[in-house]
Amino acid sequence: MTAQTAQNGAATSRRRADSARRREGRAAWILAVPFCLLFLAFTAWPVIQSLFMSFTDTRARDLRNPFAVNIIGFDNFTKALSDPLFRTAAGNTAYFVLVGMPLTLVVALAAAVALDKGITRFRAIFRLGFYMPVITSIVAVAVVWRFLLQNPGGLINTVLGWVGITGPNWLGDPHWSMPSLILMASWRNFGTAMIIFLAGLQAVPAELHEAAAIDGASAWKRFRHVTMPLLRPTLLFVMVTTAIGYLQFFEEPFVMTKGGPLNSTISLSYYTYQQFGFGNYGLASAMSYLIFVVIAIVTAIQFRLLRERS
Amino acid sequence: MRRTTAITVACMTAAALTMTACGRNADAGGSGAGQTGAAVSTGKASGTITVWAMGAEGDNLSKLTKDFETANPGVKVQVTAIPWDAAHDKFTAAIAAGKTPDVAMVGSTWMGEFASSNAIDPTPAQIDKSSFFEGAQKTTEVNGTSYGIPWYVETRVVYYRTDLAKKAGFDSVPTNWQGLKDMAKAMQTKAGAKWGIGLQAGGEGSWQTVMPFAWSEGADLTKDGGKAYNFDSPQLLKATKYYQSFFTDGISDKSAPATPTTEPDFASGKVPMFISGPWEMSAVEKVGGAGFKDKYNVAPIPAGSAGSSSFVGGSNFVVFKNTKNRDTAWKFVQWLADPKVQAKWYSISTDLPSVKSAWQDPSLASDKKLAVFGKQLETAKAPPSFPTWEQAVKGLDTEMEKITKTGEDPAQGLKTAQQQADSIGTGM
Repeated sequence: MTAQTAQNGAATSRRRADSARRREGRAAWILAVPFCLLFLAFTAWPVIQSLFMSFTDTRARDLRNPFAVNIIGFDNFTKALSDPLFRTAAGNTAYFVLVGMPLTLVVALAAAVALDKGITRFRAIFRLGFYMPVITSIVAVAVVWRFLLQNPGGLINTVLGWVGITGPNWLGDPHWSMPSLILMASWRNFGTAMIIFLAGLQAVPAELHEAAAIDGASAWKRFRHVTMPLLRPTLLFVMVTTAIGYLQFFEEPFVMTKGGPLNSTISLSYYTYQQFGFGNYGLASAMSYLIFVVIAIVTAIQFRLLRERS
Repeated sequence: MRRTTAITVACMTAAALTMTACGRNADAGGSGAGQTGAAVSTGKASGTITVWAMGAEGDNLSKLTKDFETANPGVKVQVTAIPWDAAHDKFTAAIAAGKTPDVAMVGSTWMGEFASSNAIDPTPAQIDKSSFFEGAQKTTEVNGTSYGIPWYVETRVVYYRTDLAKKAGFDSVPTNWQGLKDMAKAMQTKAGAKWGIGLQAGGEGSWQTVMPFAWSEGADLTKDGGKAYNFDSPQLLKATKYYQSFFTDGISDKSAPATPTTEPDFASGKVPMFISGPWEMSAVEKVGGAGFKDKYNVAPIPAGSAGSSSFVGGSNFVVFKNTKNRDTAWKFVQWLADPKVQAKWYSISTDLPSVKSAWQDPSLASDKKLAVFGKQLETAKAPPSFPTWEQAVKGLDTEMEKITKTGEDPAQGLKTAQQQADSIGTGM
């Protein structure tokens, strides 16, 4: 009898707990539904559709009946990979990332260190100045940089002329067009990285530096062996975000060079954009997914290289 | 666990069903040649029509449509202005969603794409196709069927500084290729010009300056009865070699800045000749200042073995198939092609009329420079209206850049452009 009551009691309380949990679960679902619906409609569905498109021969005129197209397997992917211009674009993008990213990071880190230690007066003004390019419209920036880089008569070449150097035809010469864009992109983007580095630097405990200084470590050694290891997570974050941004670089060639001269500044994203413009939706979707795969691989490598070591 | 399996199965079934629903219908687009739209009723125009137009035309069109509303009481024309940059995307999206306007101005190179997506209505017989310049009318034709009308036109001619030409020993532009080159050279040697003539060193749209020469030699951009691109014809090769020689001989600048400085260079005499369209008249006069009008002139493209030809561009007007007011839509389009309306539009916008008889209007006939454009338009040609044209010609533009800037062999360059065009296909 008592045993049975106890059993009953246990069952009741379990049932009560069950129903409470179910009620909570329902509430959670109701709260999550708006997000889920928006996510499904505006994120998941376009992703699925573009993935589907990348395996079909969809062209602009098929948009009225998006399913009345032929499935062509991996043809779009092989076509993209065997397209010489796509390869040129891949090469240009690699050039941009491999030169532009280290340059941006070094400049950003230098500026952050200077703001942290060197510059004591007007620090806020410097910080604002360095960050300004990030919040300026690329279109306005492009106009100014085109003037700066003009040949002849641009400010950069005029200044070079004062010291006896004949400046190159920056945007008109296929060898100099990419360095020009890298220069501009680094100038435009280092502000973000700098702000994050600055936060990372200020989180390095002063006691560690003091202890190292007492042990006789030089400023460089302290930076190398105290600051840098503690900055590793910050560095990882900045590297990953910069790499993702640079792998998709698009605005610079779009507003400055249109991919020229001689396709020397055409990037993967810009070429993909052109293919969308030509109405080759299937091929362009495939190209987008190739870029996505590259970004995923590069990010994974960075995480591996810079992971926390115990 | 079991639920997950059920969901997976459901999803896969749905996917499989979708897949089987895929596949093209056998007769996609481009049906038999030479269709004519159904006749338009002869009654009065009525109701409301929506019109899309781009750029300055979009801003000014409502000044013109007021006249149509006055002539047809009760009709309302709603004009929506769209910026050029966004226009093509907006049209493709509208076609996909079935939300097109009744009538729209469209770029002449979009005709193939819109026609093959079955979005625009063939021109009815009421509209007299022979009243337009032949080359302009051709821009409305896709696979032998005409869709809409050419609304306004532009063509390319040679601009030159008359004062500097005198110094160089020329009263006018010679009418043959060698003469043009000699004149440009003399501009450098005798008239102090840095570059003899400003020609685009390849890149986007450079075909528009090369093709006038090729067409003057009788080039045809299509072959196999209009079923394929034809970029490596002997005529185009001859024109390309001629074009390249301006760069190899140092008469034209092969590393001109990315943003052209045509007008200031023309006004200063640094580059006293160039080839371009009618909009440059007001542009150079604005930069040149008062009296500059008398310091320059325009001349037809020098003739090749097939006479003088040029490129004809401009914009067309089309009626979309899912219009609810087809009769009024076509009546409006027909009204736009009326010579008097075309002349009125010229006075509003300075867009050149596509209707030949509109050029007899005193405002056009009295202008000697315009007469050169009018004459050139009679022989000017348009590129084929294939949906893939812009993509195919991009390859040609890239090769032109290599030919002019790095001295690539023209025959090799055209062969590459042809191979690319073949792999792209006409898209019909």
